[in-house]
Amino acid sequence: MGQTASDAIVAAEHGAVVEQEGVRGRSPWQLFWYRFRQDKLALTGLIIIVLLGVLAAIAPLISHGIVHHGPNQLFSNTMLTQGGIPKGPNGQFWFGADSAGRDLFVRVLYGTQTSLEVAVIATGFAVLIGTVIGLIAGYFGGAIDTLLSRTMDVVLSMPLLLFAIGIVAACSTTIQGCPIGPLHLTPGLPIVIFVIALFSWPYIGRIVRGNTLSLAQKEFVEAARSLGASNARIMFREIFPNLVAPILVYSSLIVPSNIIFEASLSYLGLGVPQSIPSWGRELSDASDWFTVAWWMLVFPGFFLVLTTLSFNLLGDGLRDALDPRTGR
Amino acid sequence: MSKKRYLGLGALVLVFALIAAACGGGGGGGGTSAQGNAGNVKKGGTFRVATEDFGFTGAFDPTDEYLGEAWGMYTNMLVRTLLTYKHTAGPAGNVLVPDLATSVPQPTDGGKTYTFHLKNGIKFGPPVNREITSKDILYAFQRIACKTCGAEYGFYYSVIKGLKPGAMPGDPGKIKIPGIETPDDKTIVFHLTQPTGDFLYRLAMPATGPIPQEVAHCFTKAGDYGRYVISSGPYMIAGSDKLNIKNGCSGMKPISGYQPSKELDFVRNPNYDPSTDSPDVRANYVDGVTITIDTNTKDIWNKVQQNALDGEISHIQPDTLAQYQSNPDLKKNLHINSGDRTWYITMNLTQPPFDDIHVRKAMNYVIDKQALRKAWGGPASGDIATHIMPPTMTGGHPTAAEYDPYKTPNDQGDVQKAMAEMKQSKYDTNHDGKCDASVCKRVLFLNRGDNPTWTNMEPTVVADAKKIGINLVPRELATSAAYTTLQTVNKNIPISLVPGWGKDYPDPYTFVYTLFHSSSILCQGNVNYSLVGLTPSQAKECGVKGDISNVPSADKELDKCEPLTGDQRTQCWVAADKFIMEDIVPWVPYLWSSVIQATSDAVTNFDFDQFSGTWAYSKIAVDPSKQQ
Amino acid sequence: MTRYVIRRLLYVILVILVITFISYVVFFLMPSGNPAVQFAGKSPTKALIHQIEKQFGLNHPWYVQYGIFVKHLFLGDQYGWPGFGESYNTREPVKNELFSRAWVTFQLAVGAAVVWLAMGIPIGIVSALRRRTLIDRASMGFALFGVSAPVFVLGLLSLWIFWQHLRILPGTGYTSFSSNPAEWFLQFLQPWVVLSLLFAAFYARMVRGNLLETMSEDYIRTARAKGLPERRVVFKHGLRASLTPVVTMFGMDFGLLLGGAIITETVFNLPGLGTYVVQAVNDQNLPAVVGVVVLAAFFVAFFNLVVDILYAYLDPRVRYS
Repeated sequence: MGQTASDAIVAAEHGAVVEQEGVRGRSPWQLFWYRFRQDKLALTGLIIIVLLGVLAAIAPLISHGIVHHGPNQLFSNTMLTQGGIPKGPNGQFWFGADSAGRDLFVRVLYGTQTSLEVAVIATGFAVLIGTVIGLIAGYFGGAIDTLLSRTMDVVLSMPLLLFAIGIVAACSTTIQGCPIGPLHLTPGLPIVIFVIALFSWPYIGRIVRGNTLSLAQKEFVEAARSLGASNARIMFREIFPNLVAPILVYSSLIVPSNIIFEASLSYLGLGVPQSIPSWGRELSDASDWFTVAWWMLVFPGFFLVLTTLSFNLLGDGLRDALDPRTGR
Repeated sequence: MSKKRYLGLGALVLVFALIAAACGGGGGGGGTSAQGNAGNVKKGGTFRVATEDFGFTGAFDPTDEYLGEAWGMYTNMLVRTLLTYKHTAGPAGNVLVPDLATSVPQPTDGGKTYTFHLKNGIKFGPPVNREITSKDILYAFQRIACKTCGAEYGFYYSVIKGLKPGAMPGDPGKIKIPGIETPDDKTIVFHLTQPTGDFLYRLAMPATGPIPQEVAHCFTKAGDYGRYVISSGPYMIAGSDKLNIKNGCSGMKPISGYQPSKELDFVRNPNYDPSTDSPDVRANYVDGVTITIDTNTKDIWNKVQQNALDGEISHIQPDTLAQYQSNPDLKKNLHINSGDRTWYITMNLTQPPFDDIHVRKAMNYVIDKQALRKAWGGPASGDIATHIMPPTMTGGHPTAAEYDPYKTPNDQGDVQKAMAEMKQSKYDTNHDGKCDASVCKRVLFLNRGDNPTWTNMEPTVVADAKKIGINLVPRELATSAAYTTLQTVNKNIPISLVPGWGKDYPDPYTFVYTLFHSSSILCQGNVNYSLVGLTPSQAKECGVKGDISNVPSADKELDKCEPLTGDQRTQCWVAADKFIMEDIVPWVPYLWSSVIQATSDAVTNFDFDQFSGTWAYSKIAVDPSKQQ
Repeated sequence: MTRYVIRRLLYVILVILVITFISYVVFFLMPSGNPAVQFAGKSPTKALIHQIEKQFGLNHPWYVQYGIFVKHLFLGDQYGWPGFGESYNTREPVKNELFSRAWVTFQLAVGAAVVWLAMGIPIGIVSALRRRTLIDRASMGFALFGVSAPVFVLGLLSLWIFWQHLRILPGTGYTSFSSNPAEWFLQFLQPWVVLSLLFAAFYARMVRGNLLETMSEDYIRTARAKGLPERRVVFKHGLRASLTPVVTMFGMDFGLLLGGAIITETVFNLPGLGTYVVQAVNDQNLPAVVGVVVLAAFFVAFFNLVVDILYAYLDPRVRYS
């Protein structure tokens, strides 16, 4: 798969070289876009993600305007049998009903919102924390580096799902949730986002640290230093711009794993509450019901895999386009 | 009994309706409580049961253990008590009969003194092998009093003169209880501080069964005796005979037949003399019972269908229930019995908006109980509850069975009536039938998050409350964390779907008194979740944050009933139930659940133990040739 | 070398201390109710709650409890060494339960590791060597799917297809090898394959990438120029360099897995450490939770150490200092 991508790149590069002779120089971003455009799979991934984003945004329009069912509207009289077994897809309920008698199509649609929201926000936080800490560790080195690197090691070797379960369980007993420093973590989305960010920042942190370590030795940093630039300025003005590419690549690659993380938490019954539709939650319900209600497994499962697959395609494409030396 | 399991009950009078629902009217045994073909019932074989997890609350130590399933094992197999039950289904299973005692005595001294004489020829099982005396029963009570032993339902015995449950220090064997006399080895006399109409029931609970001091003195910490239980009944824990009691405490190693994370096996007790018992009480057909742990619910039910197991201690999942009901071959092996248990939504009388009785009444009208029952698997899972006590608890009292103060069409909720109630509330300032006060914007709603039945009920409750303007914010916790949270008063949980309540013994005292008397309010481990009868000093001590000026009390109504006996007593409890439902309204009761059990084709005689809500092990018979 | 190993071992201990400390903070300090109440019956008196707290050691402040825990862990408790305390639920030594659960997880992890190495590495090699062919594309497509599909989706789908519809594999659960070897194998087949897919996909991608990079290095060109047969070039020179990072990765992954594959064990209902710890968290059975955390942290740190030592043999450039 990546192969087609690299074929395109190789071809593109050859073309680019020929074309560039004596014509005009290209900025790295133009070059990146040029390569990326050729990567059909990555483009497909991007298009699907955009479509999912649009679906998420217009979910209320579809649910109220077309199917006329709300995400928490109950149809226990019509869509559950006398014994409480959900009924399958029909003209009104395209994906059938879930075990509480709600419209599964609408639930899955709204689930897109939840997944994207959690993944993007949590990844954003993780990238922010990871970048700052990685920069500091890599730039200053010495004891600071040792401390921060070891912290990252420890976080990475923690049984994270387990800690996530503990934190979520502990923070769900009061209406205010958990006060962690200045943050008030209310159960539901905020706590899930917090937990995911808490455990995924070291991935970015390590990459940033490694890159910073080598960049800090480069001449342009020496030059900036000799001109009397402050540490903060060197870190954020000189080094940081060179980190954008790897950060972009790796954050696009941790988005899908964060989507799976949220789904896993919800699968264990510890993610978002019932009232917020989530694919992981739907799949968790499905584990009790799939023997009699296959639709509860197939539809949320399909959307979940489609989403993570698209992000992975996009991430691969970005990596190839930004760094053609990855051996593709 | 403990709430850990999902036992349940259908109203006695309605049991037959249930049976009809379960069997679709067809004959053939499915759903009958006691079944069997006398010609086929033979002695011998092993009854094989599996469970996901024992779930013992006191590590199977009879002094402490509060789990229904464990009580079933004790009373049928392992621990004989002064009085016991017939180990059968229905009202017959709630009648006291003598066990160790020669007869059921009448109290003397104005209801304050009870004298028992013990039968001859009842011996402890190996390795103790000696005649049981009144001192062994006294020792059980000394353990209830003992500070370190951890008796979990000792409060039932605080009516005995000088017995302070769980509060008396030192070696239990040396504790003096002035209210219990043992004039000779075969006589035991109890003196109470006040007439107690249901005292005899309390002497049929497993903690009061005889315990040999020569073994148990080594195990005086909570739960420790659980792996050394010496039998007084027809069966013993396998390997009991290998227990070495000659070399003092340090020489004793746990009995091999009980491995807490693996299995619990019973074999016949060679010292048991059937002539001291009655076949109506214990028939003891099988040679042994094995209870193994299988964490996989689906696997357990599959094995029962394949005759690889003969029974289960496991909550049936709705898809399995549907499968049983649609297949006649399976249906004949399904047994549905009343579990004497009520499931309900509890509302905290101190927390807005539920500090207003009209809001609580409106909630009773608005909830769609049919939808809630669907999450349990529909009609087979029990009857819609219309008030607090399952009608069996009041002996099928006619007014109690039909009593339904918040009747709605088909039990599906009535928004009009609910709004009419809401209009009278102080939280509906514009009288449009919807709560418009700010307190209704975010109301914490505690639920279980680890059980599909509860998570499936949640949206119904949230949607229904919204119809009268109350926005519930659900919080989901694992079942045990949910219980501990709800039972901690200073968490001030306004409303919860978590709890259910089952009887400890067949007297309403274990229902309404324990649940609604102000004296039962505890800061931790509280079960009076609504805080009925909360006093200002309790509120302060336990950290209640909320309005305590409007908290009603039922103490007067409840105190009246406890000394009474017979029909007067029943009438009194029925009146108390009514008072609580109409003048206090702490709950929205929604289900009187049934116990659903499945047997393999190898089971030739089935009976249900009404007292413990589980298998009547002493009445089960199997045909080993049909076992896989 | 010895000094290096000792230093690393000390580091392992430090990591375990840090992680257990964090778990004490998370599980003991955060407010989720008093576990003693649960084991004190229906209407417990204050005295009884206090008694149970004392028995469980919950009457001390949490940092004292942590101190006692550390002491028991390293010096042993009444059940011997290492001391993990007593389970609240069964009053059995947590140690015994941990070890019997760890055995199930171990069988799952080893089986899955065999499958993912047997799948991932050959696929990666073939893809790299047959670059841009149909095989390569199909393999990488499979790999991409593997990293994208969560274990619970694959697991449930697999159960739905192979157990419910085709009826060729048993459903969820655990059969021990000694009781029925054939059943044991069939029962484990689904969890092994499902769990290994994710890893197989990662490894295939990694091996392919590494091999492609190695094959473009100068020494490979030299080897080819010498006229060595291609087979020899690939297997003797190419693979050795490109598999070294796989070893590191494998050590990490295997260590993490031994600490309990929570989701896989939940989907397939295997009585391993993962399901044990979820149950323990739900029951507030704190000693069991901390026990699993210690074990999990130990496995990760230990396998990292093993991998680092292995490195010395695989890659002569690495020297310990």
